[in-house]
Amino acid sequence: MLDAKAAPLVQVDGLKMYFPIYSGILRRHTGNVKAVDGVSFDIQAGETLGLVGESGCGKSTVGRALLRLYEPTAGAVIIDGENIASLAPEALRKKRPTMQMVFQDPQASLNPRMTLAAIISEPLVEHTSWNAERRLERVYELMDAVGLNRRFANRFPHEFSGGQRQRIGIARALALNPKFIVCDEPIAALDVSIQAQVVNLLEDLQEKLGLTYLFISHDLSMVRHIADRVAVMYLGRIAELSPRDALFERPLHPYAEALLSAVNEPDPSLARRPRIILKGDVPSPARPPKGCNFSTRCPKAFARCHAEKPELQEVEPGRQVACFLYDAKPGSTGTTEAPANLRQEHNQQGEYQ
Amino acid sequence: MKLKTALLGAACALTFAPAAFAERGTDGEVKFTFPQAVSIMNPFLSSGTKDVYAASLVLEPLAGFDADGNIIPKLVTEIPTIENGGISADLTTITWKLLPDLKWSDGSPVTADDAVFTAAYCMDPAGGCAQLSKFDGVAKVEAVDASTVKVTFSGPKPNPYTAFVGALSPLLQKAQFTPCLGAAAPTCTDPNNMPIGTGPFKVTGFTVNDTVTLAMNDQYRDPAKPAFASAVIKGGGDAEGSARAVMETGEFDYAWNTQIPPDSQASMTAAGKGEFVVAFGTLVERIEMNMTDPDPALPEGERSTAKHPHPVLSDIKVRTALSKAIDRQILSDVGYGAGGKPTCNVVPAPDAWASDNTGCIAQDMEGAKKLLDEAGWVPGADGIREKDGKKLHILYQSTVNPIRQDFQALVKDWWTELGVDVELKAIDPSVFFGGDAGSPDTFQKFYADVEMYANNSDGTDPETYLSQYQCVNAPSPDNQWQGENMNRYCDPAYDAKVKVLSGTVDVAERQKIAKELNDMVTKDSMTVIPLVHRGTLSAHSNTLGGVQINAWDSEMWNVADWFRVK
Amino acid sequence: MLTFTLRRLLLAIPTLLVISLVIFLLVDLAPGSPMSEIPLTVPPEVRKKMIEALGADQPVMVRYVLWLRQFFWVEPATLIDGWFGTNWAGGEQRILSWQSRAPVFTVIGQRIPQTLTVIGTAYLVGILIALPIGIYSAYRQYSLFDQLGTLFAMIGFSVPTFFSGTLIIIIFAVTLGWFPTKYDTNLSVTDWPSFVKQLQQMAMPVMTLGLANAAVISRYMRSSMLDNMGMDYVRTARAKGLTERVVVLKHVLRNSMIPVVTVIALGIPSIFGGAIITENLFGVNGIGAALIGAIHASDLPMVQTLAFIFAVLIVTFNLIADVLYGLLDPRIRYD
Repeated sequence: MLDAKAAPLVQVDGLKMYFPIYSGILRRHTGNVKAVDGVSFDIQAGETLGLVGESGCGKSTVGRALLRLYEPTAGAVIIDGENIASLAPEALRKKRPTMQMVFQDPQASLNPRMTLAAIISEPLVEHTSWNAERRLERVYELMDAVGLNRRFANRFPHEFSGGQRQRIGIARALALNPKFIVCDEPIAALDVSIQAQVVNLLEDLQEKLGLTYLFISHDLSMVRHIADRVAVMYLGRIAELSPRDALFERPLHPYAEALLSAVNEPDPSLARRPRIILKGDVPSPARPPKGCNFSTRCPKAFARCHAEKPELQEVEPGRQVACFLYDAKPGSTGTTEAPANLRQEHNQQGEYQ
Repeated sequence: MKLKTALLGAACALTFAPAAFAERGTDGEVKFTFPQAVSIMNPFLSSGTKDVYAASLVLEPLAGFDADGNIIPKLVTEIPTIENGGISADLTTITWKLLPDLKWSDGSPVTADDAVFTAAYCMDPAGGCAQLSKFDGVAKVEAVDASTVKVTFSGPKPNPYTAFVGALSPLLQKAQFTPCLGAAAPTCTDPNNMPIGTGPFKVTGFTVNDTVTLAMNDQYRDPAKPAFASAVIKGGGDAEGSARAVMETGEFDYAWNTQIPPDSQASMTAAGKGEFVVAFGTLVERIEMNMTDPDPALPEGERSTAKHPHPVLSDIKVRTALSKAIDRQILSDVGYGAGGKPTCNVVPAPDAWASDNTGCIAQDMEGAKKLLDEAGWVPGADGIREKDGKKLHILYQSTVNPIRQDFQALVKDWWTELGVDVELKAIDPSVFFGGDAGSPDTFQKFYADVEMYANNSDGTDPETYLSQYQCVNAPSPDNQWQGENMNRYCDPAYDAKVKVLSGTVDVAERQKIAKELNDMVTKDSMTVIPLVHRGTLSAHSNTLGGVQINAWDSEMWNVADWFRVK
Repeated sequence: MLTFTLRRLLLAIPTLLVISLVIFLLVDLAPGSPMSEIPLTVPPEVRKKMIEALGADQPVMVRYVLWLRQFFWVEPATLIDGWFGTNWAGGEQRILSWQSRAPVFTVIGQRIPQTLTVIGTAYLVGILIALPIGIYSAYRQYSLFDQLGTLFAMIGFSVPTFFSGTLIIIIFAVTLGWFPTKYDTNLSVTDWPSFVKQLQQMAMPVMTLGLANAAVISRYMRSSMLDNMGMDYVRTARAKGLTERVVVLKHVLRNSMIPVVTVIALGIPSIFGGAIITENLFGVNGIGAALIGAIHASDLPMVQTLAFIFAVLIVTFNLIADVLYGLLDPRIRYD
């Protein structure tokens, strides 16, 4: 992937998504919930970028803002050469077939009053001039592709199981041959037994159709399974963006480290990493800390962390980290052992299990 | 010279004005609006004034009353008197002579049989006739010949002008109502709603509790009348709305019963489209004193009965003091404006029957206080008067009604100033007047010290009205609480005088006795404290001519003479 | 669905019987007598006779059974007789109003048309105003329009009709002189001028009630729209690249209409019930005016019959609302 130096399919630059807060008797604008606060990353065509983080860190917002289901406050989202963030409404609508989304809750994301065929074919009505017959054919094609029985075409969403509904959601997303699909926690609402089926389906489809995914999840093992690269988000910002294997092998950012320590390792002999339990709560995105967003809970934080916000920068080839620990040695191979004193501090503050 | 010509011209114009309109059906439509809609057009089955007035456009009695309360012939040639032989010397019969060639609106002749039938109709025990008291003492009604009706009473009847007199006792057509005798009366929907009459109009359409449409009666006895070709009575809404429709928007010509607050009266009059007229009948808003003890501690059946005299109000000084403390002028102005005037009489009208008693009009707080001091009620530490360790406490009840609550508040203020502890109570009118012997809140039970409501005499002669205050009429468990003597006033002298009245024929003498009776219950004994003589406020458009407000008969008594002012 | 409807209908029978008894007892227990309106000049003996003539002195259970028989047998039979010229009723006593001595159903029959035209139009106008307001308010939540819509709804909710009605009369009838204050029941629409007259006399009551109705429904519409606006399937619809029009009108509105349609259906009995105050204020001789008149006069047969008819309508429209819900929402099945 890293050798593909052609222009990436998706380029996100400085994306901000603030939700205004109105309060007081006169409902004055008194602040912002900074759900996404300056996020930048690229996704190459055919790649799957995993986006992980705790609930409320803004990862779903990134997904929605990327497809401009929210109006981003600032930043650029270039998908397939066009800046989605600034596209005029009609042009945006025309652009929509290129980029689609698979939602977390398959039940809620399907209009309860429309049949499966109507749901899948609706974008076709909107974006093609096909006749009903041609559309139905396409619906059957898609149902086959996602493994749904054609007999179900005239049923309503509530008549399906969760896994089936998510297949409908995927079929719907695929209807217009998109290049880029945002999968927003597509398996979170499903039974564990179904999760693998859906993820495998997504992988198969990617292979067959050359899709590009942004795979948003809090399930690290699933991300490890599907993603090529992984971005770790904390409180509206990306903490670390690294190739999957490198990240899981050796997380660089203290938050990534803490997060990954929580992954269940199927092989007990490999469960070497002690689990790091972070203290305190995630600060409110309406009032993020002054310095690094993670500084309030970071076991390795030092003075500078409380004063400045670290920018995401490449510290190793293909690895980007937003942490001052790596600031001193730009371009070096870097190591977590580096400042021994800090390491100790880490030991004192973190708990080992 | 010029002025003289002008004046003469004006005089001529006035003289000829009525003549100019004297042609039947040339003035289009006259529109009435009543705050309560008309339910039925048969006064014998409804004593609601709205129904009686509406029916008076169609049904007529043999004789009626004019605006001054004088009896006038309607369907008869003259008013029977002893002088003209119409009333027998022993006062047991009255003979009416019908006008010749009188016709019902369907063209059939009016005969004495119709009168005989009407009497039978109302006097049928199963019919539930609301005007039965008009036929009180009537032994028989017979047709001497086709145009002569003879009413025989079971005994001497000094006032025989009851049956067939006034809007409450009109003539029904025998042919139409024959199937409606007795128990069938209420089920006769069509005749009840569209009776055939002799009046200036006939019913053309009737929607229950909404609208009555009428057309001029081609058979009306005066070929030049009525001036209006049709009439409509729209009912419903409220007094304010009815008044507005006449006084402000001009949609209607006449609104009956537009009793609205004095300030609204003024602002509506200012609109300049019409005027308010007041019919002062005999309706008097009064406070009645309970002469018996309503103490809840007394056993049921003895409470508020003659067995236990009222511990406080039995003292005339207290009653007088309570009366003196009231400023009746303020009450009248606040509550009724033009529609009321202060009075000290239970019989305030007609003038010939009303006592000249005005002693109570001026408020006399000091005098009142002095009286209470004399009676032994002296102010205690909290300002409330006491006697023998007992506080002067009065429970003052009335019905739920905004004006009555205003009155209660005002009177309470004055009595409090007097040193009386007043407790107010307001009861739903349908309960208060409902007469349910099982309810403790009826005005007959009178489980309070004083109560306020309005009552009136039926017609010009107050005999029946005044006889209510006889001992025997006191409500009690013995008569299922059905008497009319709410105060339980009991004075043998009064009862004796009532007997004298019922035996007196000479009108002047009757008036004298009536005044004495009036004074006995009011200024002499202070049993009844009259407050306000209430009129009925109605409104008519400036374009409607001929209206002569009448409190003694239907307000539309002379509707045949009404015309459009052009 | 059919089984469900039939079962509900069967269940409705005992329910309504119980309701009828309760109404009957309640009305009977209510203080007041049909004679309380009669002037005090009428002597007590005459009053007593009048009560006997009405049958009002019978024990309550006797009157109830008689009323049941009249309501469920005599009245329908009379109706059939009227249609087919048969003689089922056999001249039996119908339910008579104590106040007017006219058959209660004749009175109701006279009044239903006015109520349906005026109150029904007001309801329709209310709905037509409310839906766009509700939809747009929700679509632009917290916008100026939404704030104005909220203000409108608050006014409609909180200002009682006797006040708004009087205000409307003063503005449009007294000051501007556009509309008559009293509704003319006898006006029959035969040509253009009489139609205009009908519109004029309907204008003020319709305005008064329409405001109140619109306030309620617009709030339901708005909140239902808001519920659905945030749903994922709306996001899905947007992600599909549908136009806003299609997203709002097809996806959001159709789903939002489900509860609103139910609310509208449940409100229909209130049309038949008339609007007591408004009808009285403008002189519309509808059912509401009949009811209040009957209550004032303690006309028990009228009150009982009207109250029971309302009960029947409410039960019926509840059922209709449930069935509608099932038809509109594929997720609901009554099996």
